[in-house]
Amino acid sequence: MVAPDSVSPKHVTELRGEPLPAVPGVERVRVRQPTPGRSMLRAIVAVLLAFLVAAIPILMAGKSPITAYGSLMRGAFGSLDHIAFALNKSTPYILIAVGIGLCFRAGIINIGGEGQVAMGALAASWVALNFGGSPGLAVVLSLAGGAAVGGLWSGIAAAIRLARGVHEVLSTLLLNFVGVLVVSAALNGPMGESGFGFPQSPLFRDGVQLPKLFPGSELHVGFLIALTVAALAQVLLWRTRFGFQLRMLGGSRSAADYAGVSFAAGVMGVMLLSGGLAGIAGAVEVLGIHYRLIEGFSQGFGFTAVAVALLGAADPLAAVPAALFFGFLDAGALAMQREAGVPSSLVFVVQGLSIVFALCAMGLERQRSRS
Amino acid sequence: MRDGLGTAEESQLMDSLFVIGLLAAAVRIASPLFMGALGGILSERAGVFAVGMEGMMLAGAFGAAIATFVTGSSLAGLAAALFAGALLASLVAIAVTRFQADQMVTGLAINILAFGLTSFLIRGLFHGRPPVMRINLLGALPIPILSRLPVVGPLFFQQPILTYASVLLAVVLHLFLFRTRFGLVLRATGENPEAVYAEGHDPVRIRQLAVIACGAIAGLGGAVLVLQDVGTFTDGMTGGRGFLALAALIVGRWRPNGVALACLVFGAASALEVRVQGAGLPVSSYVVQMLPYVIALLVLTGLGRRTRMPQAMGRAFQMG
Repeated sequence: MVAPDSVSPKHVTELRGEPLPAVPGVERVRVRQPTPGRSMLRAIVAVLLAFLVAAIPILMAGKSPITAYGSLMRGAFGSLDHIAFALNKSTPYILIAVGIGLCFRAGIINIGGEGQVAMGALAASWVALNFGGSPGLAVVLSLAGGAAVGGLWSGIAAAIRLARGVHEVLSTLLLNFVGVLVVSAALNGPMGESGFGFPQSPLFRDGVQLPKLFPGSELHVGFLIALTVAALAQVLLWRTRFGFQLRMLGGSRSAADYAGVSFAAGVMGVMLLSGGLAGIAGAVEVLGIHYRLIEGFSQGFGFTAVAVALLGAADPLAAVPAALFFGFLDAGALAMQREAGVPSSLVFVVQGLSIVFALCAMGLERQRSRS
Repeated sequence: MRDGLGTAEESQLMDSLFVIGLLAAAVRIASPLFMGALGGILSERAGVFAVGMEGMMLAGAFGAAIATFVTGSSLAGLAAALFAGALLASLVAIAVTRFQADQMVTGLAINILAFGLTSFLIRGLFHGRPPVMRINLLGALPIPILSRLPVVGPLFFQQPILTYASVLLAVVLHLFLFRTRFGLVLRATGENPEAVYAEGHDPVRIRQLAVIACGAIAGLGGAVLVLQDVGTFTDGMTGGRGFLALAALIVGRWRPNGVALACLVFGAASALEVRVQGAGLPVSSYVVQMLPYVIALLVLTGLGRRTRMPQAMGRAFQMG
């Protein structure tokens, strides 16, 4: 099978109208963007297949998949409160996944979201508890602190990659464990509230919280922040020099080198950005939901966000519907466990399966376009 | 202890006992890690990243716990662990070869899937609540004569049976990889699958088998954890051991003996954690818990680019 664009061997595809210089030795540079419709179709099919296969363990548990999925849907969309709950759940996923998606674009795999969220939340909580000025300013500084320390955490992995060539998958993974343990150490030590059985910080004082969007609803401003970040990231990726460089690095390292794009600057930049966004996600969780730092609150965020970024085809705007899907899935699964007695960990089965199916589809597309 | 022993000598004796005890614990703690990493050697030597080891070990732990709990036989537990790990790995094998899915992210997805599936089934199969399991742990099995040797005895010859099994497996694996033709072909698949194809072998099939074997052995690693250390199944009980095994692979340069050493270092760090907690030292136990991960990170950073990984790792084999 011959794809139309592979007829001429010396042909260089263009990135959205920006022509690449011809690179000696590089026959074709493949940085084509699949049409949004196609990647959305792929995501939907992957998710439907995942639900279909996940019916097997439900049957093994002696339950009816139809009842289970029915209560899942009701739990997700049943009332305005449920919807607000799900949107709040989606918020950190959007923030982290936008960053991870930008990393994917540059060919970098950042799976350290969990550690970056934990460290960001730790810094944000420290600021929220210790800053004495006006509450509004405290919230802003707390968000900034979260971004800074989240970025620091991913920056370590980027620095190790650049200086010593250790793959970021390993360093970000190992830093997850360290970050989560740092939070535990803080909560069981200097930042903990004594006299409680559970490791948590004291409550933030009144006003040091993210405001709600509507009176009477739990939906907080963090959701708007996340949407804004996704829109800005879209502009960054497609309309700025930095975004162009990221796409070049991910498309072809040799073409990027030839064009004078710095690998080090790209990797460090995108990792700092991604870690910073994860740190903001951590800050949003403590300022918007818990009003304190709680041990173990960050569990699973990083990996779920990888799934979100992947189903969104590493497109910042497409991360929003993908994150909403997982947020509603989380909310629905809790109801499913309550009402139908089907364990909520089914969420992770659906997550894992949908990533595998999406990856298989992407692999197939690559094979087709190559042959 | 005789009366004549001075205090200095006494504390020295205590110190050496402490160190021997620590190292013996390190060997025991390293066992599940080591068994898992042996599987990873097969997968990565054939050119497939073994990021999914955490999930395969977890699946093995689940299989071992359930089967031993239901049948009362740890042999059945081992068989179930082998099967569960291999089953999960066959999904990886198909995805990364037939579909050429990204190996790293597929591994991650498998970990998420294994976490969800085991956590779901441990409740679902037992009417919504995880059963209370008290599996009798496999105790130390001293080897006659050898176990009475000073230092070496308590370290290596007073261990539980699966620890011996992991060492045996390591020897077999070493001979297979470096002394047989099949081993050579497997290693070549990780370096240059096109050449292997030109020689008339099927790199796709070889990779599939290597990944499935990796799953089976990693599953055994999970069984070691359940049958020798924990005695029950809890959600996500592997707690990053699969990732540490992955680091051990790199640090140990994809050779059974190097990987053994790396696992021992990580094991010693964990053993230290238990002892620091027991001794009431003024160090936060959380800081000590970070040790294995921090050490892994430091060693990887120290080695840097000197680790030469199999050349074709992560790259799908494309015919023609």
